[in-house]
Amino acid sequence: MTNLTSLNYLQPELILTATILLMIVVDLFYSAKKSRRIGLWALAGLVLAFIYITVSGFNIPTALFLGSISSDPFGIFFKVLILLATIMTILVSFSERDLSNQRVGEYYILLVIVTLGLFFMVSATDLIMVYLSIEVVSIMSFVLAGYLRGNRRSSEASLKYVIYGAFSSGIMLFGLSILFGLTGSTNFFDIRTGLMELQNGADLALMLSTVLIFAGLGYKISAVPFHYWTPDVYEGAPTSITAFLSVAPKAAGMALIIRFFNSILGGEGVFTELEWGTFSAIPWTQLLAVLAAVTMTVGNLIALRQTSVKRMLAYSSIAHAGYMMMALPVLSQQGVYGIMIYAVFYLLMNLGAFYVVMIIANATGQEDYDQFRGLGHKAPLLAILMTLFMFSLTGIPPTAGFIGKFYLFAAVIKAGPSFYWLAIIGALNSVISLYYYMYVVKTMFFTQEKTSITQIEFKGISILVIVLAIPTLIFGIYWTPIADIVHKSLAIFIR
Amino acid sequence: MIIASLFILFLPLLAFLIQIFWGRRLPRQGDFVAIAAVGGTLVIALGMLLAILLKFDPGFQREAAFEWVNLGAFQIKLGFLIDNITVIMLVVVALISTMSHIYSTRYMGGDPLYSRYFAYLGLFTFSMNGIVLANNLLSLYIFWELVGVSSYLLIGFWFQKDSAADAGKKAFLTNRVGDLGFFIGIMLFFTAMGSFNYQDIFNGVANGQLSGIMLTLAGLGLFCGAVGKSAQVPLHIWLPDAMEGPTPVSALIHAATMVAAGVYMLVRLFPIMTPDVLIIIAYVGGFTALFAATIAITQNDIKRVLAYSTLSQLGYMVMAVGTGAYTAGFFHLVTHAMFKASLFYGAGSVIYAMHNALHKLNDHETDAQDMRNMGGFKSRMPITYWTMVVATLAISGVPFLSGFISKDAILAGTLAFAGHSPQHFLVPFFGFTAAMITPFYMLRLIYLTFHNEPRQTHIYIKIVESPRAMTVPMIVLSSLTFFAFYTLPQFNPFAGNGWFTSLVTAQDSLVTGFAVVSAHEFAEQVHHNHTLAMILSVSLAGLGILFSWLFYLKRKLSADAWAQRSGFIYRWSFHKYYIDEIYDRFIYQPFLRLTDKVGYTDWDLYDQKFIDGFGRVSEKLARLSGTIDWEGLDKMIVNGIGRFFQRSGQSLRQAQTGRLQNYLLFALLAIIVILIIQVL
Repeated sequence: MTNLTSLNYLQPELILTATILLMIVVDLFYSAKKSRRIGLWALAGLVLAFIYITVSGFNIPTALFLGSISSDPFGIFFKVLILLATIMTILVSFSERDLSNQRVGEYYILLVIVTLGLFFMVSATDLIMVYLSIEVVSIMSFVLAGYLRGNRRSSEASLKYVIYGAFSSGIMLFGLSILFGLTGSTNFFDIRTGLMELQNGADLALMLSTVLIFAGLGYKISAVPFHYWTPDVYEGAPTSITAFLSVAPKAAGMALIIRFFNSILGGEGVFTELEWGTFSAIPWTQLLAVLAAVTMTVGNLIALRQTSVKRMLAYSSIAHAGYMMMALPVLSQQGVYGIMIYAVFYLLMNLGAFYVVMIIANATGQEDYDQFRGLGHKAPLLAILMTLFMFSLTGIPPTAGFIGKFYLFAAVIKAGPSFYWLAIIGALNSVISLYYYMYVVKTMFFTQEKTSITQIEFKGISILVIVLAIPTLIFGIYWTPIADIVHKSLAIFIR
Repeated sequence: MIIASLFILFLPLLAFLIQIFWGRRLPRQGDFVAIAAVGGTLVIALGMLLAILLKFDPGFQREAAFEWVNLGAFQIKLGFLIDNITVIMLVVVALISTMSHIYSTRYMGGDPLYSRYFAYLGLFTFSMNGIVLANNLLSLYIFWELVGVSSYLLIGFWFQKDSAADAGKKAFLTNRVGDLGFFIGIMLFFTAMGSFNYQDIFNGVANGQLSGIMLTLAGLGLFCGAVGKSAQVPLHIWLPDAMEGPTPVSALIHAATMVAAGVYMLVRLFPIMTPDVLIIIAYVGGFTALFAATIAITQNDIKRVLAYSTLSQLGYMVMAVGTGAYTAGFFHLVTHAMFKASLFYGAGSVIYAMHNALHKLNDHETDAQDMRNMGGFKSRMPITYWTMVVATLAISGVPFLSGFISKDAILAGTLAFAGHSPQHFLVPFFGFTAAMITPFYMLRLIYLTFHNEPRQTHIYIKIVESPRAMTVPMIVLSSLTFFAFYTLPQFNPFAGNGWFTSLVTAQDSLVTGFAVVSAHEFAEQVHHNHTLAMILSVSLAGLGILFSWLFYLKRKLSADAWAQRSGFIYRWSFHKYYIDEIYDRFIYQPFLRLTDKVGYTDWDLYDQKFIDGFGRVSEKLARLSGTIDWEGLDKMIVNGIGRFFQRSGQSLRQAQTGRLQNYLLFALLAIIVILIIQVL
């Protein structure tokens, strides 16, 4: 489709762009004290985009802008997810204590720019677009992570993020250029044709390129061994940003990985048949499987030893990326389906858990386990909600987390005996995670009071936690509506 | 209809949630919330009743379902089925529940757990409506267990009393026995048909997907559930003990609705029952009817008499299903719910008065429920007296009252049943004998409580009529025993025909090769036997009334002397045929001994002797090899491995140095290692 007609499919992105420009201008007229109101403008734009997307519904997969991006239900599904995460983030940012002492206009503007970048990330079908969208997201995230000026940890996190991000994108760019060199094209589908014509003639180069590209994408979803930035950045960044980073870019990264690797290397009938396989001789699926196993194991093992709940959640988010990666190498609709449904539930429960930590941090200024001691007596409702999120993150029925894990494991088991080992490692990892999630519960209910919390105010963020908790429980019992939506979103653009 | 039933289902649940979380903080501890919720269900249910009366279509049916679980090949749908039977049952549940709520405001007034009590009632009403509305066996089972839970909570409501806590436990455990069979039955149907839906199962049976002995087994499994929930012999033991719960609960749960759930389920699923199952059902029901009636004669606790009478009446309903007159069984379920709830309210009113009187006298010894402490209350509690008399006459089968027409329909059914299979003559025998005993013990209750001179005058003078919140439900329900409510637009007190019989019509059995008779033929036979059944039942009831009058009002015959004379028969009846003792001796005790034995084998023999002995032997061996082991293997290899893991764990943690240079180095190294591995 030509550039002009493509714009018809780009309304949500255009709404976001207009919002960003408007916010930049409006911000000039607000004093530092009132700059918080920019958040409302952001909210309005995001909600408008959200309404637009949900009302216009799913469309037939189409290529836009001469094939550089595509518009399909798969992308729309992730866009909705990203919008939800951003809306939540903006809502909690209003009550984030760390942010209250400085000008926050840019903060909201940057968040919306990240959202725009993520939108392009989930719909990219061209190497240039892949690189561009990742850079938009990364650079804005660097600034957001370091937004607490004057806070050393925040600045340090930002700097580490910048350098690590630059390093990763450099490596990925190298990989992308090899791919371009092999096939002479930047479009996913032209590359696919080119690779097929090579008939495994350049496997070594292709392998090199795959590994390098995965290093770049793996950094985005914080897969081991490209995860080193994660704990430091997650700890230093404002909690609202940490929660956002642990959900939205991760979901978008997953979407990009699914689209990228399957479009380029997937076998006959990719995305349309129930199962497809790969036409390439290089062992890229095994690579993904091993990395999935390593990612969840390392994430869980280190999460075991943390003393700060926020840092524990940071590591556990690495482990969750590992669970989702489990379903990547099976190359089946069920696998993609599992990842998508898990992404929804993960968004609910992980944001919920982070927001509980944020309530505690707002009230006490700290995030370590000590502040959770005796919370069950001081603030029973909050403790019960946290318990619900912990149960869900572990994957205990009847919570949404269980259903999500069920679909992931089902996809892996269904892929046949060659993946049983992966399922076993995944199950063992769930057991490990049980320990540290339940440790939070134990700390809240069965230890002597030590928390310095006096009273939790029932407003803003607490309501948001409840809003997240209700579907976490309900989707554990009745998830068919979500399953239906995911099922309808399985249409992925393919040329 | 479907929307309306959603409200009926969820209003009580809403009330439950409000009560359990905020009940104590609301004014009046929130009882008005609960009453408003069930009152709302009553209004909606009456509206639905009006709707089906206007339609007047025996085949009326609405069904709605939603997909609960969809795992590709495996799907579970849950939903509602609404037909005439459902609507009538919803009215019964909503009506009795509303009455019990109103009644409880006074009866439970001042209880420290007042708000929680209403919460439990809401939970019960929700679950019971779930049973009534279910269109599939799975949700039926879920709600089945939920009513079990709420019944457990309410029986043991005064859990400070050991007897109440034990009774709750007993009810729960006894029901588990029946529910195990129920679950097996459900799963047999599911395995055969791949669906829990009633209609799918009906179609499956009609197509012969499940037939012969397996269908009989599955049907028996379902019946097991009914035996537990509707307290049929041999699982009847929990119901008399359940009287430990508050009296409005006994009226609602243990007389009118929950215990009738078993009958309701059998009525719903009648078309898939094989002849073999039906005969067993008929015998179990008939036997329970007679058996419980004979116990009721000798009991002195006013609530226990009513409990055994409930058992007996439930036996009637079950028997009716077994003989094929299952619509008559459902008819009796409805009429029974009204008069039995009324009787329980009356008994509760007496107990309430007794309690207050004893409280004023500062007497904590006298049993407030023992009829031997009562007598002559008629003049003190006229409303209670008259409502109870009406309800008693209804249960006795006196013409012009509802119990007469429904019981008559059942008895005619048994006669028709015996007509086409004379070898089962015992079934009508059970039915008619119980019909004679029922008025005897029910009037005994009335005479002992309300007539003659007071046995304890000092209590008697303190007795006062109960407050209006309690008497109004009694008046409402006892007036609903007038026959015309069930027979309009017909007005013939000796024939049960009317809107009820027109709307609830029998279906043919779907079992292939069902050898007995079609529903139409059976109805013909019932019609032929109608007059005979009526004459027999009226004269037998009259006989029962006469004897009761002679024994307990006129005292022409001495009850005590006859008790002496009848010897072991009296003792057996008084001790409820020693069933509890027999179970204790032959089931509980052997089982406890078995657990002791198993425990002994496991701990004293296996663990202490074998394992420890093995341990000691190996310990010696270990010592021997230890010296070799320690120096050679352990110090070098084992510790080496341990150190290796410790170190790798440590290094894994230390990898997060915080130094960016290291991070980049690690990532680069990882890429190189991966590449090397891939290339190799």
